[in-house]
This record gives sequence, structure tokens and C-alpha cells, in this order.
Amino acid sequence: MKKIIYKIAVLTLIIGGFTSCDSELEQIPFDALATSQAYITATDFENATRGIYSTLTNGSLYGGSDAGGMLDAPDVLADNVTLASKGRNSRFSLHNWQYSASTEPMGSFYERSYQMILRANTLIEKSVDFEGTNKDKVVAEAKALRALGHLNLATFFAKIPTQSADANGSPGVAYVTTADFSIEPARLTVAETYNMIVQDLTDALTGIPATNDPGRLNADGVNTLLSRTYLYMGQWQNAINAANAVTKTVAARNNVVGVWEDSSKDGVIFWIDVDPPGLDITPGVTWSQFGINTLVPEYVVSYPLFQLFEDDDIRKDAYTLQARNGPTQYNAIKKLFARADGQFPGRVDIKILRAAESKLNIAEAQYNLGNEGAARAALDEVRTKRYTAPPSGETGTALRDAIRLERRLEFAFESQRFFDLKRWSLPIERGGFGDLNDGTGVPSTGQNMAVGSKLFQLPIPQTALDLNPNLQQNSGY
Amino acid sequence: MRTKFSGILTLMLALVVQLTFAQQKTITGTVTDDTGLPLPGANVIIKGTSSGTQSDFDGNYSISANVGQTLVFSYVGFDASEVKVGAQNTINVSLQQDAAALEEVVVTGYSTRNQTVQTSAVVSISASELSQMAPTTSIDNMLQGKAAGVQVTAANGKPGQGAFVRIRGTGSLVAGASSPLYIVDGAPIREEDLASIPNEDIENITILKDAATTARYGSRGANGVVVITTKNGNRNKDAVIRYSSRYGTTSMIEPNFTLMNAAQKLQYEAEIYALGGPAGSLPGVQTTPGSPERALLLSRETDWADVMLKDGIIQNNNVSISGGSDRVDYYFSVSHDKNSGIIDKIDGFERLGSRLNVNFDAKEWLTMGVNVGYSRSTSDEPRDRNNTQNPFQVIYVTNHYETEYLYAEDGSLLLDDNGNPVYNPTHRNFATRGALETEPSTDIDQVTLASVDALVKLSKNWSYNFNTSVNHGLIRRESYSKPGGILDIILNNAPVGNKFDDQQDRLDLTISNRLNYNLLLNNHNLNVMGLYEYNLNEFYRTFVRSTGFPSPLLSTQISAADLNDGFTNRSRLTLVSYGVFADYDYKEKYLLSGSIRRDGSSNFGDDYKYGTFWSGSLGWNIAKEDFFGVDAINDLKIRAAYGSVGNRNGIKRYDSQATNAFGFYPGGSSSYPATVANPNLKWETTTTANVGLEFNLFNKRLRGVADYFVRTTSDLLFNIPTAWEAGIIDPDGRRGVPGNLGKIENRGAEISLQGDIVRTNDFTWTLGGNIIFLDTEVLELPGGDDVPAPTTFNILYREGQKINEHYLVRYAGVDPGTGKSLFLGADGNTYFAEDLPEGENRVFQGKSTIADKEGGFFTNLNYKGFGLRADFVFKAGNWINNYVRSNAESDGQAITDNQAVTAFNYWQQPGDTDVLPSPIYAAVDQSINSDRFLEKGDYIRMRNITLSYTFPSQYLDKTPLQSLRIYAQGQNLLTFTDFWGDPEVGISSGETINFADSVAPGEATLYSYPNVKSFQFGLDVSF
Repeated sequence: MKKIIYKIAVLTLIIGGFTSCDSELEQIPFDALATSQAYITATDFENATRGIYSTLTNGSLYGGSDAGGMLDAPDVLADNVTLASKGRNSRFSLHNWQYSASTEPMGSFYERSYQMILRANTLIEKSVDFEGTNKDKVVAEAKALRALGHLNLATFFAKIPTQSADANGSPGVAYVTTADFSIEPARLTVAETYNMIVQDLTDALTGIPATNDPGRLNADGVNTLLSRTYLYMGQWQNAINAANAVTKTVAARNNVVGVWEDSSKDGVIFWIDVDPPGLDITPGVTWSQFGINTLVPEYVVSYPLFQLFEDDDIRKDAYTLQARNGPTQYNAIKKLFARADGQFPGRVDIKILRAAESKLNIAEAQYNLGNEGAARAALDEVRTKRYTAPPSGETGTALRDAIRLERRLEFAFESQRFFDLKRWSLPIERGGFGDLNDGTGVPSTGQNMAVGSKLFQLPIPQTALDLNPNLQQNSGY
Repeated sequence: MRTKFSGILTLMLALVVQLTFAQQKTITGTVTDDTGLPLPGANVIIKGTSSGTQSDFDGNYSISANVGQTLVFSYVGFDASEVKVGAQNTINVSLQQDAAALEEVVVTGYSTRNQTVQTSAVVSISASELSQMAPTTSIDNMLQGKAAGVQVTAANGKPGQGAFVRIRGTGSLVAGASSPLYIVDGAPIREEDLASIPNEDIENITILKDAATTARYGSRGANGVVVITTKNGNRNKDAVIRYSSRYGTTSMIEPNFTLMNAAQKLQYEAEIYALGGPAGSLPGVQTTPGSPERALLLSRETDWADVMLKDGIIQNNNVSISGGSDRVDYYFSVSHDKNSGIIDKIDGFERLGSRLNVNFDAKEWLTMGVNVGYSRSTSDEPRDRNNTQNPFQVIYVTNHYETEYLYAEDGSLLLDDNGNPVYNPTHRNFATRGALETEPSTDIDQVTLASVDALVKLSKNWSYNFNTSVNHGLIRRESYSKPGGILDIILNNAPVGNKFDDQQDRLDLTISNRLNYNLLLNNHNLNVMGLYEYNLNEFYRTFVRSTGFPSPLLSTQISAADLNDGFTNRSRLTLVSYGVFADYDYKEKYLLSGSIRRDGSSNFGDDYKYGTFWSGSLGWNIAKEDFFGVDAINDLKIRAAYGSVGNRNGIKRYDSQATNAFGFYPGGSSSYPATVANPNLKWETTTTANVGLEFNLFNKRLRGVADYFVRTTSDLLFNIPTAWEAGIIDPDGRRGVPGNLGKIENRGAEISLQGDIVRTNDFTWTLGGNIIFLDTEVLELPGGDDVPAPTTFNILYREGQKINEHYLVRYAGVDPGTGKSLFLGADGNTYFAEDLPEGENRVFQGKSTIADKEGGFFTNLNYKGFGLRADFVFKAGNWINNYVRSNAESDGQAITDNQAVTAFNYWQQPGDTDVLPSPIYAAVDQSINSDRFLEKGDYIRMRNITLSYTFPSQYLDKTPLQSLRIYAQGQNLLTFTDFWGDPEVGISSGETINFADSVAPGEATLYSYPNVKSFQFGLDVSF
């Protein structure tokens, strides 16, 4: 009898267990939300919009990286910086153009750009069934960021339309407009790519507000990007029109140093606050580490560029820095070095778009249209806010060179130089100078890159080629 | 058990009661085993009395007895023998081994079976075998070379660090999925947590290799199962107190290459400069030979290995008490382990463990048991990354003319404000020595392993077993950059301080119900078990990071001014299992087993939560057949097994679901797609076919096992790479979409042999060894496309190739005419770097990171209590990309760093052969990702050599001691290899690819903690 009771007790235990446990197999995550729950309310879409922007803070975009990112590579590849022998040789092969498909230069940038594009596409697709008040705005932002992502990719991995006669017909980038993990898109031509960028930016203009929260694009930002795109395409009047739509004025001379120490946002259209406990990133490590007397630079201001800054040019103070490491003295890069108190080196807000660009775009476009007066006027709008005794009155080629010089000085270490040389069909010439503040020291290994070199178009990373059979490598690799 | 008990009881009586009887005669003789070996300490009792004696060390005894009385000879593990006293004065007895005691026990976790009736490929390692192995803090390291088919690669030499264990090849293509399932007293434990188990507490390690047994673990057994059982006391035995202690020193194994000294490096710098290399600012160019400046540099020659390292200390102490009465048995232990490691200024690993295992019969029909072990380990964690924060990189890259401290202009030591010398940041701009003091990082792991068991005997044939097993780990890492410390000043330019506390709370709970049916009838032996099991794994993490610490003496977060980061994580994984397992044998001659198990796991897609796994196996012990009359063959068993086993590791817990993750972006939350839905995500399935042969020959003097196996794994769990243009990167940086992909195969043969070469009274010599011959192949990939291996440097998967093959451009030596590097293009022709054909020039060459031959062998000599044992491990056929060498023979590319002496041997003039390439072209040459430094990883290493002395029992008679053994031991004293550097490579660089993320252990060298050698002395005593 007893035994029967035991047996029954045991069987009850077992059966009880069976029924209670199967439901335990339905587990949902604690640390994430089902995507089906994540795009419903206006707040959801605001969050998802910020989710697109947050990709920009990745090291390989604008967050600062040892491996090369949007923030630094356009200068590292060009003639504005010299590799510092005291540094860690970061981006050595990028700087000295020793890259091939298998070394995958800017590979992470390539991936993260498309990650941003995926996030934008997801939001755009999810917004179809969304009718909130902020719909137009968030879709506009998503399209603008999708355009920015593709533009950045195109400038590194493809030719720029004005670069050469064959540019428009050469491979651009894969322009992705769907959130689909199974795609294997082919590259469009350069012309098609830029048309898509223009399309997205134009669409964005219809919904983008004139003012937006800090860290977000506004109409000025989208117009600046559109102006840049048209400039790269050689559509001069369109570039001028878009730039003219920018309302932000160029930073006043007495604010320029403050802009780079984060005490002023004069003239800054699109920036990202990096302070903890929010983002807590230090973009400045891309150029150097440590303090002013113990500096370990990765890159320093190239001696020829340093010479170009006139003494009355406020940018000499704002962009360059006399720093040392023991007896070794450098013309260090001050953009992103530190705020005024010198604490937390490298923790400086990321600046992505500034008003000066629209003026310089106008100057260049007007010059190309033959309107030298208008070109000079636009150029002087920048120069008068940089020099105490600004140069003026150039004509002809001298004016063209003055516009180019001003663009180089204004946007030194700010994600432009390599693209400018590329689209102007100019070679990269580093002049053989060393890394020390008097031009001596160790010169960079790579010194010259000729116009027409395949190296102006970075190779499509080998892994990307391996994974997408429809992708075509750039010629020469 | 009873025999043993009475034997011991009698022994005790014999020792105490020294009676003599008047009308007796003295009988002498020798007690030997069935092979003629003497049995020291055998009991000789006069039947029906309490008087008796014991044989001495040589098996001789002497006893007084009356004619007509019966002498009973007994010895643990042997059948007792009775001889009537007659006219003879000499009685020599040969005892036969007790068949039951002889058999190795195989613990499958769900049941315990004798080796004789086992139809699966399993290896069982007992406590006594473990005690003879080279002791390490983590048990997995000890398995290397001990079990055929078990490939063990030490992760690195860090104290307390475990190993990569692969049973019969690599059964999965993702991180963390190729490791076996480890079960400790019923609870699964992560490979990286094995160091929380003190070795002395382990009674048995059974390694299950084929489906016949692994299929009983269903969805988790595909890569083999390692079942670890902790010790229990013996019933009816007075407490035995055992104390063991070990002490020794460790040091880095001397490298088999030479780094440049100060003079050589200075000369090399000048040479590179002369060739146009970027060495202009270096002292070898800035100072001229013979100058006072040069002399000063040379006078400060510093060997950075001496500066950074120390001789480590190993210390181990363990006390255990075990015993039992007729209804209770117990085992209690306390242990302490310390291994300081070899980095100066920091401590290594320290563990305190305690355990209590108790079993008791509550009723005739109810037995209950509880096993509880707790351990607390602390480990100082040096930076294991590919930069100068890593002390081991410093040893290689710091020039010997660079000094430990900075000097002032006048030649005296530069002092800081407090009068202390200032550490030299060297050319790498980082004072690593100082950072070891100011940047402490410590892991504190507390692990509790507890299992509670109740066995209900329902009837003669039926029983029910209820078991709850818990593995709870509190794993904490504290990492501090002290305010004003080396890194703090660099990063913050002010004394700020930065600290994180990262605490993980891991619970693994198993509730297991088992219903057993046992039938022993007319030589038919049947055991059937029904299983119902629930497993819950829950993970919590708390992470806080702050800056603004007021004092380096304060390190808790409450003192910090600014909170920089703080978050928690939580996740759950559940498993529900049903199973039926059956084993049958007839006269231990015909053997048959089968299992079926159905598992439901929460991490799979809705339609694929459940998977069914099964096995069938049979065996035939020919030697037990009546017709088989070969005396020389004691056992001859052939067996075969086939089955399917699953794996669910290697993906994340919610990977079948589409999710959005959240972060921060100025203005508020940021939300972004993190994972893509895959409702079809399902089990990875391995089918294993195994045939084996086990034999014992010549009175079991020669023992052997041979197996042939084929493991085919399909539906591999993998983050299936998507086009980069699709943009799928999850918040942890993982690319692609988790899914099931392709098919791989591991096939091979294993042989294990052991023989007693000499087996005489005083002298035994045993030789043994094992080897696996392994072939791996990627059979199918989706669409036939190549798949890059995640978290590797240069591994690509391609159909028809081996698993984990290096994929590199072939280096073809130096062009004797120009000194330029030559490479082979994909077309097989030779090219200079810049002339390589467009497109892909990387190729497969059958060079995998996985060894195709691996094993171990040992020799064990015993002479009258003296023992000399040596264990060797070996590995062959694997290839390692030697990045450390490429940096030390950099052709001037890393000219600021110290180089190997061999770097001098570069091409200098036309016709030079057998040289390194000319540094002139190095920049371009080295832009090719070639196999120039891909080296064979073959080696043989003497893992252990031990000289021991076990005191004969007659010496201990007058002491309270039962046994006493002392020994001296050396580990890793000899290595045979052609590899440049240490060939035992697991982790390349722990912060580049950490242990848990490693897919291809041993792919490359990159300055991880080196392996060490040690000398130790020890003592084992029981009373």
C-alpha cells in the first residue's frame, strides 16, 4: 500500500513538472524590444531617428578611430598631415597609400556607412503605416542621412564626377534603399549614384525643419550637403542655389578659437555633443594623445600646410598647436585636441557641417561659372572673418587658387581635403618634410600620388567583394 | 565494499592485538597477484578468529597457526583465498583480481556503467590517475595527451587560465560552440569556469566521445561531454585525513630565438637608415659608434625580460576528510591554491575552495545526498592586447638601450616630486612597469556548485531519482585607472581616475527526474531509464563606470564624482528534455544500448524549438565466448555506435527574434534594428558513426583501444554573412544573420595503448600513449559560396577545404638578384609584390590551425617505492601565423622596436640566398598579406617529469601515518620544435580575440601570456 502511495506521489511530481515547464520555452529578450513594438508612436520614431544619427559617432565615421574614419581619412590620405614617428603608426598604410583590396582600407567605414543606411531604410519603411505629427521630419532626416552615407562612401570608393571625363560612367556605389538583409546590390555608375543622393536630399528638404534639436540635421544642414553634392557634380548653379538657402552665417573671427574649444557654436550647423554620461567618446584621439607637453601625436600638421597659415589668420591659433614631447616639438593638430582647460584630451564635440562651406561652395561655383565678382564676394565672406588683414582682389587663376587655398585652410582636418584634390585633379605632394615643427624629422614614407592614380579610389574591401558577387572592384586592384 | 571493510577492520585489529598461542607452528610464505607481483600489506587472518598479520613490502608474511585452521588471504581489489593449514610450513598464495573491482567505471552523468559492458567510445580518468598528472589550476589543461581524441590547447600561460578542449575535431564553425559540454555533479559549467574546481575534489573525469553516450545529452552533446564527478567517502570506514601540499617556482620558458642587445640594435638602426629606412631619429643614427653618447647607451643595457618578469611561486595545500558509517558517507575538503604568475608587480591566481559531499540512507528505500562546493578565485589580469600596455609585448619591442627609469642630464636618476625614480615611457610612450602599479585589474569569481539528490527504491526493479543541480557563479571584474596614474595622465591630462565594476551573476539550474527499471534475470541484464529534465540558465550583469576619484586609495564607485556609464543586462535560456535510455547485455558478452531524447530550447525559432536526438550501439566481447580459447587474450571487444546529437551554442539567446536595441544619442534614446527575425533557426546536428576495438592481452599487461569515427555536422549554427551593403551589424559588432548553414565533417582514428614492459616484485615499468589522426573537411556551404570565419585573422571556409584553413598569398622567398620579396600569384607564377595579377591571389594550401595528429605518451618506472614518471604531449600538422616573429624580423618596418638577431640576415648583394628580403622594398612587400610567417606548429613537449618516493607501510607502522608520498616535479622542461618561439599557441591576443570568441585557437601569435615551466616539490600524507 505504502509503495503505491510513493509511486503515485512520484508520478504526480513528474506529470506536474511536464505541464509547468513547456511554457518556459517562450522567452523574450530583457535588453531589447521586438522590432514589431519599436516603431509605433511618435516617440518611437524620434528614438529610431536618433538611432540613425548614433551611427555617426562610430569610430570609423566621425567618432575618431585608429583605423581610419570619415573624421580623419580625408586628411590622412592627403597632404595636410604628416605621420608622427613618435606615434603608434596608426593608419600607416592608409597614409602612405600601401593598400590593396585585402588590407581593406576604410573597411569598417564601408560597413558602418551601410549600417547607418540600413537604419535609415528601416525607419523609412516602418513609417509607411505611421501617421504621427513628426512623420515628415523623421523621414526627411532619414533620407538626408541615407544621402550622407552614400555620399561619403562615393567620395572614397568611387570617382567624383568632376574628377575626370570618364568619372560619371565609372562605378559609383551600391545605393541601398531597402531594409533587407538578403540584398546583393551592384554598384551604380557615379552619375546614377550622385543623382540618387540629390534625390534623397531634395526629398529631405520638403520635410526638414529650419531648426532642429542639437545633434540633428536642419534645413541648413541638408542644403549644405546638397550644395556640396552639386559642387562635386559640377552643377554650379544648383550648388550656388543650395548654398544660398543656408541661413547660418560664418563664425565671427573672435569665435573661431571658441568653436574648437566648444565654448561657441558660431557658424556650426551640425555637431554632436560627446560628453559623458551620454556618448562619452573622445574623437580627438584620432590625431594625438596626452597633454601639451607630453604629446604623442599620431599625425601632425604637415609643414607645408603649417606655413600657409598667416600669422593674422585666427585659424593658426584655432587649428594648430605648439606642443612637445620632451625635446621634440610639434605643430600639433588642435582641432579636437582638447577644450580650453586641457583636461580630457580629445573630448571635443564633433563638428560635421559648418556655414563656411556654403560660402566656399558658392565661391568655387561662381568662379566656374565665370562670375569672378560673386566668387570673390563669397570668398571674402569667409576671409574677412579669419584674418585681420584679409587678402583680396584676386582674379583669374589667382582667384581660383585663393578659393582652393581658403578651402584647404578652413577645412583642414575636417573631412574634405582628399576629396578636393581628387575632384580638382591635383596630385598629392607632401614636399618631403619631416614631422617636427621646423619641418625636419621623419618624413612620411609616401610622398607623391600622381593624378590618375588608382589609389584615389580606395579598393572595395575584399570581404565585401567575397560576400556580394555583384560587386565590381575598382580598376587597378 | 564489505570485503574492503572487513579487511581494514581486521588490519586494525591485527595491528592492535598481538596475541600468540602456545601450540602453534609458524607458517611463512609470499602473497602475490595473478601475475606474480608481490602484494604488500595483504591480510592474512586465521578464519574464525581475530588474529592475523599482514604481508610486508615484498609480499612475505609470517603467522603462527594451528594445523587444521584455515588462513584467509585478502587484499583490496582481489578475491579472497582460503588455505587450510596442514603439514606444510610454507604457504604461497596467488590472489586473483576481483573482476568487479578491476573494471573501470564509466560515469555518463545519468548512469554509471562498467567499462566491460560499455558500447561507447569513452575515456575514464580516475582520481588516482589525476594525482599522477601534472597539476594545474584548471582541470582542462591536465587532460592534454591523456585521452585519445581529446585535443587540448592551453589558452595561454596565465595562472588559472583554462584550455581549448576539442573532442574529435572541430564540430562547429562559431565561437564557443566547439567546446564539449562540461557537467559537474549534474550541473553544466562553462569551459572558462573550470578553474573554480579544485583538482583534489575530483573523483572521476569521464569523457564521452561518441553518440552512444553523448546523444543522452541531446541538444548539448554534439561536441562531446566531459562528466566530472566529485569525491565521496567510503561507507563503513573510519575517517581518513589526507593532506597534500605542493610548492614550487615558475618562470618563462626560454625562447628559442635571440633578441638584439643594445649594441646590435644600434647597429641595425644604422644599417636600416643607410638603406633609406625611417630610422633617422633613432639613437643608432643619432650617435656614432665609439662616441661618449653611444657608450652611455651601451652602459645602460637593459634586458626587459629581467625588468618585467619575476620567478613565480606556486603553492597548493589541501586537507580532506572522508569516511562513513553503514548508512552515511561523507567527504569534506578545504583547499588553497596560489600561482603568482611571472609578471613582476602583480599577483596571479589564488583560489580558496571548500566542499562537503554527504550521502545517507534515510530509509531502506530512500537515499539522499548533497554535494556542495564553493570556491573563490581572484586573479590579477594583465592587459593581454597587442600594444605596449601588455607586459609581454614590452619584452619583445623595447630596445635594450632603453632604461627602466629616466635619467637626468647629469646621469643621475630623474626623480619625481616625491623623490621616486620616474619610469621610462620608452619609445612606445607608455611606462608599462608603472602602469602595472597604477592600472590594476582583478577578477574575483565565486562559484557555488551544489546538487541535491534523492533516490527512491520503488521496488526490486524500479527506482526513481530526483536531482537538482545548481551552478551559480558571481563573477566580478574591477578595473581601475588610479587618479594620477600612468594611463590617467595620458588620457585625462589630470588626476581623474577611472574605474569600472563589472559583475556577472550566472545561474544554471537543472531539475532532473529519472525513473529507472533494472532487470537482472538469467544472465540478461537490462536497464531502462526515463528522463524528464528542466534546465534554466539565467544571466544578470551590472556594469558601472565612473571617473573623478579623489584618491588612489579609494576604489569603490561611491567615491567617484562622475558616473560615465552604468547599465544592467539580463537574459534567460531554457531547455526542457524528455528521454528514454536503455542498456542491455547478455553475460557481458552481447551488448546493446539505445537512447532517444527530445529537447526543447528557448533560443530557437518558433517552429524549431524541439529537436529529437537518438543513438544505437552494440558490442560483442569475443573473449567471453566459450569457443574463444586464446589464453593470451583476456578481453576482445568490438563495438559500434551511431547516432545524432545536437548543439545549441554559438548563437545568442534571442537570435531567432527581430529586435530593436536602445542606446543614447544627444536628445534621448536611440533605437535601432539589432537582430533580424529568423523563425527557422534550429539545432546544429552532428551524426556520429563509431567503430571501436578494445583489448586486454597477456594477463592484462597490454591494454588497448582503437576507434574510427566519422562526425558529420549539418545545419551549422552560424552568423550567415550578409552583403556588407545590407548593413547588418548587431550591437556587439556581430555581422550577418544567425542561421543554419552547410555541413562539415571530422573523421579520424584514435589509438590508445598501454603496456607493462616489466612487472616484477620490485620493479614495474609501464609505457603508454595515445594518438588521434584527424581529417577535417568543409563539405557544403550555402550556394557553394566561401564564408569568412568570424573572429579570425585569415581563415576562410570553402567547400572541399579543411576547417580553419589559412587563406593567404604564398610567399616565394627572396629574389637573389634584387633582394625583393617574391610571391606566387593565383596562377602559380612568381611575382614581385607590385606585379601580382589583379584579383585574388590568396590560396588554400591545406594548412589548418587544427592539428591532424595529437596525443601524448608516458613512461612510468617504479622501484621499491621510488617512482619516476614522465609525460609527453605532442601535436603535429597545425599551422600558426607567427605575427610576433614578423614584428621581430620586420625588415626595418618596425625599426623603432627591438628586433631578433636574425633580422641582420637580410639580402645585401646579388646572389645572396637563404636571407631575409632587403629592407629597401619592405614597405611594399609587406603590404601583401602573405604566408611568409606561417609556420608549422609541430612540437613534442615533456609536460611533466616526477620523481617520487612512497614510504613502505612497514616504515609507517609505528607512526600514525597511513601513507606518505613525497615528490619533486618539473613541468615543461623540454620542448622539441622547429617553430620560432613557443609552439603551444591558443589565444593570440586576448583583447583582440578573447577566449570565448575564439573560433580558430592557435591561428596566430600576438604576445599573449607565455607558457611557463615550473619546479615543484610536494607531499601527500594520510592518517
